[in-house]
Amino acid sequence: MTSLHSPDDVSRRAFLEAVAKTGGQSFLFGSLFVNTALLRLPQVEAGAKARAESETGKGVIYGFVVDTTKCIGCGSCVRACRAENGVPEGYNRTWVEQYTFYRDGEVFVNSPNGGEDGFAEQLPTRNRPSGDEAPMRGFFVPKLCNHCIDTPCIQVCPVGASFKTDEGVVLVDHERCVGCGYCVQACPFGSRYLNPETGTADKCTWCHHRVVKGLLPACVVSCPAEARIFGNVSDPDSKISRILATNRVQVLKSFLGTRPRTRYIGLDSEVI
Amino acid sequence: MRHAGHFVRLLALVAIAVVGFLYVRSLVVPKDFGVKGHYRLSAIEDEAKREARHIGSDACAECHDDIGAAWKAGKHHTPQCENCHGPGLMHTKVVAEEPTTGYPDPILKFNNAIKRPTGIMECKWCHLKTFERPSTLKSISSVREHVESHHGTYTTETLCIDCHNPHTTVVTLPKLAASSKAPVAK
Repeated sequence: MTSLHSPDDVSRRAFLEAVAKTGGQSFLFGSLFVNTALLRLPQVEAGAKARAESETGKGVIYGFVVDTTKCIGCGSCVRACRAENGVPEGYNRTWVEQYTFYRDGEVFVNSPNGGEDGFAEQLPTRNRPSGDEAPMRGFFVPKLCNHCIDTPCIQVCPVGASFKTDEGVVLVDHERCVGCGYCVQACPFGSRYLNPETGTADKCTWCHHRVVKGLLPACVVSCPAEARIFGNVSDPDSKISRILATNRVQVLKSFLGTRPRTRYIGLDSEVI
Repeated sequence: MRHAGHFVRLLALVAIAVVGFLYVRSLVVPKDFGVKGHYRLSAIEDEAKREARHIGSDACAECHDDIGAAWKAGKHHTPQCENCHGPGLMHTKVVAEEPTTGYPDPILKFNNAIKRPTGIMECKWCHLKTFERPSTLKSISSVREHVESHHGTYTTETLCIDCHNPHTTVVTLPKLAASSKAPVAK
């Protein structure tokens, strides 16, 4: 190959050939790396990251665990959240979903008014078109903001009004928010809403205003079944750390790779 | 350099635009924006400044010590005071602003600042039978059936607290006292 370092000898043809060769080689090598990165599936990626991530000793980092096996669907958390944060009627920062499974494979998901008024007794048939088959199994799943590590909602904010604190809490700056609603659409969990009273985006803050005062979030305090656990995951002796160490936990929509900080115990594969 | 003047004028315009942009930017962007990330640092303090409206059952028990002690000793100590009575912040504020002594009608004023439970709706939140609830939780399908199964008389006015004390879960059954068949079950 003609040396490129002696410009006097380089013909146009030789130069172009050299460029094509080196360029092609680097492209091939580069694409090899890209391909291996692509081969790592999002689920595997998220799982590996979650495992590799030891947050011990990094200062205070908050986490939240929802034990779906303990939830009795009373809706105390929903009412406490509304009262504590002044959430307007028709909007929810947290809500409870009722899942009922039937033997024919049909799944019934219900959340009347977010579960705020509790769940009424319903007949086993539940107006199902296929008839009077009794339910096979069922449970309640409380939902709230997942305070993701890789949040889609912060990324889309055009004015820097959505942000994550050092403690891992995703908050909204109500002075900067222009109410465009991008974040409401970006959140794959439906955790955000546009507050009609303030005109700004609003969401669960893990009761940041209570936590800084040394209190627990309102939903955690009000839960009579201890289905909600909040605490410092960085402290290995905290209650949440012990629960995370002794339970099998899952996150919602792990395939999206948002790496939620809200983990679920006993999460069924049908829960979306 | 015949055309130097053109460059000077162009550079001057660019300089004015840059300075103007920086000036407007300094006015619009808050001082603490971007200190730790693409956000206003004091927004965290703004959020933290909000008052905690739920004061906690221990705070309630500071004054209502008799109910607090009974509640803590009883089986019903997992639901907190504020689950049924609503957040207590306003109630404590009224107490702090208006001392009990010398106030014309303190009871009325305190009561206005706290929710009075209906005595049936709150119970149903947990104790109405649904398929998804764990079977270990005591629950009933219908208040009428429950009352009649205990030989009581059901009316539309019947409340759970007529027989059950929600603070202690002790069953008093006042309406059934006349009946000798009344089961005094817990």
